[in-house]
Amino acid sequence: MKKRFAIPAVVLLAAVAGGVWLAKHHPASPFEAAEKSAAAPDLVARGEYVARASDCVACHSLPDGAPFSGGLEMATPMGSIFATNITPDPETGIGAYSLADFDRAVRSGVTPDGRRLYPAMPYPSYAKLTDEDVRALYTYFMEAVEPANHPNRPSGIDWPMDQRWPLAFWNMMFTEGGVYEASTSEDALWNRGAYLVQSAGHCGSCHTPRGPAMEERALDESSPLYLSGALLDGWYAPSLRNDPNTGIGRWSEADVVAFLKEGRNAHAVVFGSMADAFNNSTQFLTDEDLRAIAHYLKSLPGDPERDGSPWEYDPASAAALAPARRAEVPGAQTYATKCAYCHGADGRGRAPWIPPLAGAVSALAPEDASAINVTLNGSARVVAGGVPDAYRMPPFRAQLSDREIADVLSFIRSAWGNSGGAVAPEAVAELRGPTDPASSQVIVLQMR
Amino acid sequence: MELRINRETYSVQSEGDTPLLWVIRDELGLTGTKYGCGIAQCGACSVLVDGVVTRSCVTPVDSVEGSEITTIEAIEADETGRRVVEAWVAHQVPQCGYCQSGQVMAATALLRESPNPSEEEIAAVMVNLCRCGTYNAIKAAMADLADGGERG
Amino acid sequence: MGDLSNRTLTRPELSGGPVNLSRRGFLLASSGAAAGSLVLGLGLPGSRARAQEAMAPGTRVPAFLEIRPDGTVRLLSPFVEGGQGVFTAMAQIVGEELDADPATFVVENAPPGADYQVMEGMPGFRITGGSLSVRTSYAAMRRLGALARAMLMTAAAAQLGAPVSELSTEPGRVVHAASGRSLGYGELAPAALDLPVPDPESVTLRDPAEFRWIRQPVKRLDVYEKSTGKAVFAIDAQVEGMLHAAVQHAPRLGMTIGTIRNEDELRAMKGVHSVHHLPGAVAVVAERWWDAKRAAEAAQVDWREPEGAPEPNLRHMPADFSTDAFGDALERAPGDGEEAEAKGDAPKVLGEAETVVGATYRAPFVNHAQLEPPATLARFNPDGTLDLWVPNQAPDMFQADAAKQAGIEPARVRVHSPLLGGFFGRHFLYPSSNPYPQAIALAKAVGRPVKVIWSREEEFLRDRLRPMAVTRFRGTLDADGLPLALEAVSACEGPSEAISGRDKDGKLDPMATEGLTGKAYAIPNVRVAQIYVQNPTMLGYWRSVGHSMNDFLYESFFDEMADQGGQDPYELRLRLLAGNERLTNLLKAVGDLSGGWRRGPFTAEDGSRRARGVAMASPFGSEAASIAEVSIEEGEVRVHDLWQAIDPGSIVNPAIIEAQVNSAVALGLSQVLLEEARYEKGQPVARNFDMYPILPPDRMPRVHVRVVESGAPMGGIGEPGLPSVPPAVANAVSHLTGQRARRMPLSRLSFES
Ligand code: FES
Ligand code: FES
Repeated sequence: MKKRFAIPAVVLLAAVAGGVWLAKHHPASPFEAAEKSAAAPDLVARGEYVARASDCVACHSLPDGAPFSGGLEMATPMGSIFATNITPDPETGIGAYSLADFDRAVRSGVTPDGRRLYPAMPYPSYAKLTDEDVRALYTYFMEAVEPANHPNRPSGIDWPMDQRWPLAFWNMMFTEGGVYEASTSEDALWNRGAYLVQSAGHCGSCHTPRGPAMEERALDESSPLYLSGALLDGWYAPSLRNDPNTGIGRWSEADVVAFLKEGRNAHAVVFGSMADAFNNSTQFLTDEDLRAIAHYLKSLPGDPERDGSPWEYDPASAAALAPARRAEVPGAQTYATKCAYCHGADGRGRAPWIPPLAGAVSALAPEDASAINVTLNGSARVVAGGVPDAYRMPPFRAQLSDREIADVLSFIRSAWGNSGGAVAPEAVAELRGPTDPASSQVIVLQMR
Repeated sequence: MELRINRETYSVQSEGDTPLLWVIRDELGLTGTKYGCGIAQCGACSVLVDGVVTRSCVTPVDSVEGSEITTIEAIEADETGRRVVEAWVAHQVPQCGYCQSGQVMAATALLRESPNPSEEEIAAVMVNLCRCGTYNAIKAAMADLADGGERG
Repeated sequence: MGDLSNRTLTRPELSGGPVNLSRRGFLLASSGAAAGSLVLGLGLPGSRARAQEAMAPGTRVPAFLEIRPDGTVRLLSPFVEGGQGVFTAMAQIVGEELDADPATFVVENAPPGADYQVMEGMPGFRITGGSLSVRTSYAAMRRLGALARAMLMTAAAAQLGAPVSELSTEPGRVVHAASGRSLGYGELAPAALDLPVPDPESVTLRDPAEFRWIRQPVKRLDVYEKSTGKAVFAIDAQVEGMLHAAVQHAPRLGMTIGTIRNEDELRAMKGVHSVHHLPGAVAVVAERWWDAKRAAEAAQVDWREPEGAPEPNLRHMPADFSTDAFGDALERAPGDGEEAEAKGDAPKVLGEAETVVGATYRAPFVNHAQLEPPATLARFNPDGTLDLWVPNQAPDMFQADAAKQAGIEPARVRVHSPLLGGFFGRHFLYPSSNPYPQAIALAKAVGRPVKVIWSREEEFLRDRLRPMAVTRFRGTLDADGLPLALEAVSACEGPSEAISGRDKDGKLDPMATEGLTGKAYAIPNVRVAQIYVQNPTMLGYWRSVGHSMNDFLYESFFDEMADQGGQDPYELRLRLLAGNERLTNLLKAVGDLSGGWRRGPFTAEDGSRRARGVAMASPFGSEAASIAEVSIEEGEVRVHDLWQAIDPGSIVNPAIIEAQVNSAVALGLSQVLLEEARYEKGQPVARNFDMYPILPPDRMPRVHVRVVESGAPMGGIGEPGLPSVPPAVANAVSHLTGQRARRMPLSRLSFES
C-alpha cells in the first residue's frame, strides 16, 4: 500500500527565505506543566473515539503489523516517507512523550527533538482539536495501545530535500493555528459537525484543493474552496458541498449519514481512499455525530459556475449497447461485457449494493483520476460492522489496455446524461504505472 | 421476499444483498446454474431476468423481486431455449460442461432478442469464458441457430 | 505423465477386494441410475466374490456392467469424465465387442477397487491423467465387452436350447438365425451376469476392419445433460441434512491460526452454525454457503508464522517470495546441470565452435483455473462408513488418504467421483490443495454431512502451480547453416520430484525436461540437462505437464538457430527429420492443411501484416505439429488461424479428438498469450479471473485439425494437442516483429502494431 503525497520543491524555495529562529522555534502547548496521572477509563474510551474519528490507524498501521507500529509508505516526488510508530514504546514509539510533546506533534507537527513533521500528517486540521480531545487521545495511546518495538523506517528523501526546518516556515504560512471556535450564529449540531469535519475528520486533507505548496487552500467554510473537491493520491476526492454534479447536492442528510455509516447509499458506494476512511473511521462514529457531519456538510453551498448544470438522467444511451450497434461506439462493447453485468445497461447499478454510474461523481467530474484508478485497480473491500461487502469492484488492469479503459470510461462519462467527458489513453497509462490493484481480501486494521 | 423463478413463485428468506446465484442454488436447490468466479468474470452463473441475460453472482436478490427469472432448469420449456439445446447437442458443444448452462442462457437471450443475429452480434454477446475452449463449437452452433438451422 | 505409475504419485494401500459397499444403495444414490429401476447383474454374493477374488482387473464383468431390462447398458468406467470424452470412448470400446450401440450406454465413474485397475503395464494403479486412459485400457475394455457378450450368448444358448456355435449377436440382441428367434440383452442379463466369467483367453476380438463404432464420430453421451444443467458436479452434490462450509486459508502455506479476534461475532452472524480451526484455515459451517462464505471472509485472524520444518510434502511459503525474483534467481542458477539426455559431445563441439548462438528462455508458473471451484461433500453414516463426493483423478488414492484422515479402514470409505468441471491435472491427490480433508474434519465435528466449497479466491491461493523454468540454450551451426550442436540447461523442478521427493537413486524427474528431451531432429550433438532448484511453491501437474513449457522453450530456440543459419524453419525441420517417415508425413500434413507453408510476413486481405510459425512436439505417445498465423493489433498478439496435424497412432473417436485438439489449442494459446501465476510477498497477485485472465472467446482463432493415423501404437489425446501451440505462435510473432519472444506470456512483452 502506498499513498502518494506531493510536496513540491516550492516548499523548499519558500523556506530559503525563512529565518532560523522560526525553524528552531518550539511551539507552546497548554499541557506544558501537566502531570502524568492515571487515566479515567472513560477518558481512554473517548480517546479511542477521537483516534477513530481522526483515522490514525489508516496511516500508522499496516495490515500485517502491530497496531500503530507504523509503516505506511507515502510516495512523494522526492522519495518515500513512512508513517511512524506511535505506540507507547519508549525506544521506537512515543512512549517517552509527555502530553505536551504529544500535543506539539499532533497539533503543531513538531517532535520533541524539534524535527518538523511532513504535512502528510494532517496537523493543520488536528490543530483544531480541543484540549480535552488531545488529552483523551494521548491517554488512549499511552494506556490502551500495546507498545511495539518497531523502528521507524528512514525516509527515502535525499539531501537537500530531506531538510525539514523549512517546514516550519510552511507551517507559519499555511496553518491557522488554534482550536476550533464555535460559530455563535449556528446551532450545536452544526458546530459539532463543523468541529468533526475540520479537526479530527480532516476531510479537507483530501477534499479541499491544495495550493502550489501543497497547502490546503481553505481550512473552514469561510472560503467557497473549502471541501470543493481535489485531486490527490491518484484519486479525485469529490466536492462535499451542495454541488449536484461533483458534490453531494443530490443527497439528503440521511444519505450522507448512510454513506458514512454503511459505506453506501442510493447514489454511491465508498471506493478508493474513502473505502479506507470508511472501514477504519467513519462507521465508528455515533449516529449523532454523523448527523452533525451531514448537517454541517449540507450547509455548504455549491457553486453552479464550477459544477455546471445539474445532471439529469438520459435513457438514450442504452441504444448504443444493443448487440448490433456496439461496434459503432468505442467503449460500448467493453461496457456491455465488463461493466453492465453489475452497473446495468441503464447505468443505474443495483443500489445500494452496487452503485450507479449514471450521475456518479466520477462520471461527471472533469477530473478523471478516480474513474481511471478504480477501473485499473478496483476497490478495497468495504467492511461494515465487521461484515464484508457482497460485491466488490474488480481491477481490470490485467484485462483491458489503456485504450480500452479510456474508451469505456469515455463511454460511461458521456452516457445517461453524464458529462465528465472523454478520457485519454495517456491518462490511463500515467496512472497504471504508479498504482497497484486493490486486494480482493478483507482487510481490517486493528486498533488494539 | 417472493421470487418468480421458472414461472413459479417462491418465498425466500435470504438477505436482500445475497446474490441471486446462491438463493437459486442453496435455498431453492436448483444447481444447474453454476458458480465460477462470483465477480461477473466468467458467465457460468448466467440466468435470464425478464429475458435479459444476467450474471446471478452479482445480482442482489432484492433487485429482482417482481421480475420473471428463468434458469437452465426451465430452458427446454422455452421454444428458443429448446432450439439452442438441440443445436448444442447437434454440434456436440460441451466438454466438461461446467460453463455450458451459462452459455446456453446467453445464447437463448440473444436469439430471443434477435432471431437472426449477425456474426458480429454473436461475437458481441457470447462472451462467457470456457476453460475447455469450446468457443468454436459454440460459434458453429450459433451460426446454425442464426440461420434458423439452414446453415452448417 | 508418461511414467506416473513408477515413481511419481504415492501409491495407496489398497484393500485388495472389491469395496464393501451396498451396490444397490450406491446405485440408487448415484445420478445415472433411475430411482426404483430394477438393478440386475451387480449382486455379488460374498462367497462368489471371494471365490473370484483372484480375477485379473478388468475381467469381472458384473463389476463393470449392468444391463437393464430395457437393454440399457450401465458401465462403470475406470476413468473419470472431465470433458475429455472418456465415458463415450469407453462405451464405444466396450459396445464394439459387446455388440451394443454406445448410444444405449449410461456411464459412471467406478468406485475404487482392484477390478478397475486396468491400466496396462501399471498394475495396482488407477488414474485419469497423462492422456493414458484409452491407450492403456483399450485392450482390457475390448476384452471386457467380449467377455460380457460371451456370457450373454451362453445364457441365450440355455434359454433357446441351441448351441452357442449357432448363435450370433446384433446390437443388443442374441440371435438364433436358424430358428429366427432372438432374445434382448435386457432379458438375458439376469441369467447371463450370474454365470462364471469365461477365460479371458477364450474370447476372440472383433476384426478392426469390421468396427462399427470404434473410429466413428459417435455422439457423446453426456452432451445433452451438460446442455441442460442436469449434469451433476461435486459442487452440486446434495444430501439430506447437509450443511455448507467455506474457508479462509492462511495467506501463506504453513501459517497457523493464532487467534480469531472476532470469533464470537462470527458465530452470531446470520445462518452460521459453527466456526472451526482447521490446519492452516478457518472454516465456517452454515445452513447456506453464502452465509458461510461471508463469515469466513469476515474472520479476523492473527496468522502465526510456521514453526519448525514443514511436514513432508508441504512447503512453507516464505514471506518474501516473489516469482519475478525467483525467475531471476533461476537465471543465475550455477552449474551445467545433471544430464537428462546426451548424444555426441555437445559441450566439446560448442567449446570449439567459432560462433555460438545463445539465449535464455523463461516459462512462468501457471494455474489450473478449471472453471469448477473445488468442492467436497462428506457424510458419515450411522454404521461408521464415510461417503465422499470428491472431484478426483484417482479414486483409490483418495480413498486411502480419506480413510487416513477419517481414521477408518479404507474399505469403509465410499468414494463417489462426480463429473469434473475441468481438471487439467488439478484433481490429483494434493491434500493441501483439495478440500476433502476439511470436509471430512468438519463432517466429523458437526455430526452432519458437510459440503465444503472453496471460493474462487481460496482456490487461487491454494492451487498447485505448473513449475517455472528458465532454460539456457546454446547452439552452433555447421558450414551449411545446419545445427551441429545444441545444449539446453533448464533450471527448474519437475512436478513429480516436487510431489514425491527427489529420487533416492539420483534419477531425474523426466517430466522436468520432457519436450527438451525426446526430440527427433537429427542434430549430431545434443545435451539436455536440469539444474534442480527447489521451488518454494507447491507444484502440481498441468495439462501436458513438462511438455506444456519445454516444447515452447525448445521449438522457439530451434527457430532462432534456423534464422542464424539462414534456414527456413519449416524446411529445416523437414530436413532434420529426413528418414523419419511418421514425422515427415505429419509435418507435410500440417503444411498442406494450411494451404502450403508460407512464413510471411505478408499482408492479409484485411490489410493486416501477418506471419506464420511452425512447431512440433512428441507428447504422451502421440505426435503433433502446429502452424499459427498471427498479426499484432494495438500491441497485442492476434492469432487468426491455427492448423494442427496430430498422429495418435490409431484412434477411437475422431470427433472427440477434434474437440480435444480445439480444447488443447485454447489452453495452449491461453498460456502463451496470457497466463502467469505471479506471487509477491509470498502471496498470489491474482485471486480470481480478474487478475488471471484466461483465453476469452474473442481471442480464439479458427482451428483446423487433421488427424493422421500412422498405425503406430496408440498414443494419448487429451494433452498432445497443446505443446506445439505456444511455440508456433511465438515463432510467428518473433518472425513478424523481428523481436524474439523468449518468455511466456507474450502479454508481458510489448510489440509495435
Ligand atoms: S460466477 Fe457469475 S460470472 Fe462467474
Ligand atoms: S465446457 Fe468446460 S468450461 Fe466450458
